[in-house]
Amino acid sequence: MRIGVCIKQVPDTDSHLRIADSGREIDDSDLNWVISSCDLCALEEALVLAEAEVSRGEERPEVVVFSLGPARVEEALRKALALGADRAVHLAGEALQGGDALADGCALAAALAKDHCDLVLTGAQSDDLGQAATPAVIAEILGLPYAWLVMAVELDAPRQSARVVRELEGGMNELLRLDLPAVLAIQAGINKPRFASLRGTLQARRKPLHREDCSAVDAGLVGAAGAGTETESVTLPPAGAGGVVIEGVSAEAAAEELLAHLEREVAL
Amino acid sequence: MVLLPHTYQSAEYAPRLAVRLGAAYVASVSSATLDACGGLRFSRAILQARLRAEVRPKRRLVVATVQIGAFGGHDPVESPERVFEVGRPADVERHREREILGREAAGAGGVDLPGAERIVTAGRGVGGPDEVSVAADLASALDAELGASRPVVDNGWLPREHQVGSSGHIVAPNLYVALGVSGSIQHLMGMSGSRVIVAVNRDPEAPIFSVAHYGIVADLHDVAPALTRLLEARRSG
Ligand SMILES: Cc1cc2nc3c(=O)[nH]c(=O)nc-3n(C[C@H](O)[C@H](O)[C@H](O)COP(=O)(O)OP(=O)(O)OC[C@H]3O[C@@H](n4cnc5c(N)ncnc54)[C@H](O)[C@@H]3O)c2cc1C
Repeated sequence: MRIGVCIKQVPDTDSHLRIADSGREIDDSDLNWVISSCDLCALEEALVLAEAEVSRGEERPEVVVFSLGPARVEEALRKALALGADRAVHLAGEALQGGDALADGCALAAALAKDHCDLVLTGAQSDDLGQAATPAVIAEILGLPYAWLVMAVELDAPRQSARVVRELEGGMNELLRLDLPAVLAIQAGINKPRFASLRGTLQARRKPLHREDCSAVDAGLVGAAGAGTETESVTLPPAGAGGVVIEGVSAEAAAEELLAHLEREVAL
Repeated sequence: MVLLPHTYQSAEYAPRLAVRLGAAYVASVSSATLDACGGLRFSRAILQARLRAEVRPKRRLVVATVQIGAFGGHDPVESPERVFEVGRPADVERHREREILGREAAGAGGVDLPGAERIVTAGRGVGGPDEVSVAADLASALDAELGASRPVVDNGWLPREHQVGSSGHIVAPNLYVALGVSGSIQHLMGMSGSRVIVAVNRDPEAPIFSVAHYGIVADLHDVAPALTRLLEARRSG
């Protein structure tokens, strides 16, 4: 059995974001890049599922990580290898870059199919664009069942289907059964991602990482050519409702001022 | 153009629909405009609502999901031009590769957030499980319930029943104090109806300030204890 995990490298949400001079993207000159948070949960879930198979006396499934992007994403793939993935695939071809979820989903679907993955895990949505579209696109292109916002996964004994809990609004969950192969988009909170050990980091250097250019896919479907959308501009959100801002004073002074307002507003 | 609400149900299948129709896909839009040439532009939040992007579809057909609450309601149109009746596809009953087995509550608890008059919420900015007490102390000084943003719950700093937001409780108390909460769409969906919103955040550009009536740009670890001390001094004074 093989579990494919798609990870995206995104700007650290704690880093300072500046809009690039072009006005079309963020300035990436001094950003901290990390694996998108739900994608780390997807990888953790794959590793936990693999370990559970071993403790059931089955052969350990192979965990393969996939990431599309420029050269810097190899750092994210090495991190995933250090965490316990067995092998990594970098969708690196020049023609693959500059796409949107439709184009990237198309390239990832091709790579996942080439590796015959029985189960595909991704994060529920990326911390940067947050469209929650790529896993659904992969599922549609591969003609597989799909679940979004997955909070629990269990494989049945013959590994023909997965039982899944998925989140709905307002604190409700849905229980699903999906035939394998399937695509599951993992929601944050399903598990606590492990930290890489020193041993894992050392081992990661020797694990296979290969580049894939998806040349078998029609060039019009991937990268900028395959994108269905284009970002025209990136801006700061519109200023707020004009609330009172307390800034640049001591904590005590800020607290005093706030309480004076609240006294009137909510009758403390 | 096909428009759907960005609910947990429709956002699951909408991208599949776009692929099947050969359409462009744009998720969770908060506004749409037409440019001079009649081209569509969508606006949507990116990077956890810290920035906005204007997105242009490059295909004739577009599937878009609309962020809940982004558009005010309109009076219903008198008589829709055409209503289509859609039948059930004949082969739908045959084999289910995806089957719904049931639904259940995600686990309730003893916290009465929806009924609370006042809520103090700990965001990821509190920093760790041992620091949640700064929010808890302020909550008790204000006679408020303790809320949490999702990462605080996901990290196990507080139990799930404290969570405010689209996948937690929807609340509208008299007073909502957000400590170290950035103000993601999902969090705002759960609390933007509160009567008075106070935000403490050290990032002046945090989106929570766009809904806050009172915003304090400072370290919450300085301001929250100062508030607690003042409130306790009043009580005993
Ligand atoms: C389908 C789905 C459903 C979701 N449902 C929910 C939901 O119900 N509720 C929810 O909350 N989220 C939900 N989320 C997650 C949401 O997208 C955000 O990730 C989350 O709300 C961010 O939480 P936060 O503001 O606490 O953390 P962050 O976004 O990390 O913000 C932390 C903030 O703290 C500030 N800060 C840090 N240190 C300090 C300090 N010392 N003093 C002052 N300020 C400080 C930072 O400036 C930052 O603004 C959902 C996501 C998805 C995909």
